[in-house]
Parts: sequence; C-alpha cells; structure tokens
Amino acid sequence: MTMSILHRATGIALYAGVILLALWFIAAAFGPGPLGIVHVVFASWIGQIILFLFTWTLFHHLLGGIRHFIFDFGGGFSHDARFGLAWANIIGSIILTLLAYAFFVWF
Amino acid sequence: MSISEKTIATPTTHYGKPSTATWRFIVQRTTGLLNIFFTLYLIWVVLRLAGADVAAMGELLSNPIVTVVTGLLIISSAIHMEIGMREVIDDYVHGEGALKATLRLNTIVAVVVAAAALVALIKLAYWG
Repeated sequence: MTMSILHRATGIALYAGVILLALWFIAAAFGPGPLGIVHVVFASWIGQIILFLFTWTLFHHLLGGIRHFIFDFGGGFSHDARFGLAWANIIGSIILTLLAYAFFVWF
Repeated sequence: MSISEKTIATPTTHYGKPSTATWRFIVQRTTGLLNIFFTLYLIWVVLRLAGADVAAMGELLSNPIVTVVTGLLIISSAIHMEIGMREVIDDYVHGEGALKATLRLNTIVAVVVAAAALVALIKLAYWG
C-alpha cells in the first residue's frame, strides 16, 4: 500500500522532473542568458535539494518498477517477499543515490 | 464513478477500448524496461552537465551516440509519463467531461514537453 503510493508519488514527481529537464535544454538552446537563470536556480540551496531528491526519486521509481516486473511475472507475492522487496526498494534507492553523488559529485 | 452494470456491459463508455488499454499496459512496461537504462544514463548526463555552459553542453550532446540516446530517452520518458499520469487521472478525476478534458490535457503536455525538448536537443547538438 505504502509502496504503491510512493511509486505513484515518485512517478508524478518525475513528470515534473521531465518538464524541468526540458526547460533546462530549452534554456540552453536559447543561449547563455536563459541558461544562467537555470544555473542560479539549481546552484541555490533549494535547487540543490531538488536535484538530490530528483536523483533519489529516479532510483526509487526505477527499483519500484523492477519490483512491479517481479509481480508481473507472478513472483514476490508472499508476505515476507513483499516486505523484503519494499525494504529493498527504500534502502536500495537511498544507497544508490548516495553512491551516485559520491561517485559524480562529492569525490 | 462506481462500476455499474452499464459500465461492465459497455466498457468503452468510460474505460476506453480494451485493446487500447492492453496496448498501453505493454507500452508502459516496454518503456519502463528501457527507462531502467535511460535513468542511469540521465543521472550521468545531469550530474556531468550540472553548471556547464552552452558550449560544454553542445560539445557533449553533439556526440552522435549521446544525441540519439538522449532523444530516445525524451521520447520513452514522455510516453511512460503520459500513460502513468493517465492511470492517476482515471482513478481520481470524476465526471465524463472533466475526465476527458484532463486526459486530453495530459497528452498535450507530454507531446509539447517531448517536442520542445527534442528541438532544443537538436539545436544544441548541431548548432551549439
């Protein structure tokens, strides 16, 4: 139940995320002026938080999608498997986000 | 809207054609599978180009492989988000008119976002 809501919520957030991605490309296509505005927004602390959450959202929805593929093929329906997959989804998405940032941003 | 005998007798009235719904089911999973790869690629692109100037963006995006993969990412994501939001709208928007209008708006947003992003990508890739 919680995971279903989270999968939807992250999906809706990514809908907005794709629009942000499009705005970034469009701004760059219009030149340094509009792109500068995007940079100011994303360099700000709120922009940094949005980018970090966007990364986590992508990983969470990605792992949630794999979880749904497992369900589609008829697996993972037992009580333990469902809870195991749910926790793997949450913990996995946090670990992958930290790894991506560690690899590409922090070090 | 609750499911009545009328809805069950004529499913096309509210839930659309069954074959279209099955098609969307398949497309949602196909684009979802592709998006596993595209997501990892996108995170690499975004974190690599964060804060980059127009010239640096153009340089990376003009690589033919990057141009094509980014273009496919935009198309696959737009299709996936259109179908995903369609399911949310089906669940929460009630009333025939409002439902149709919201679904139409959702499709328009997905098409416009994808088209604008593709034009911007091509502009950056070919003209910097």
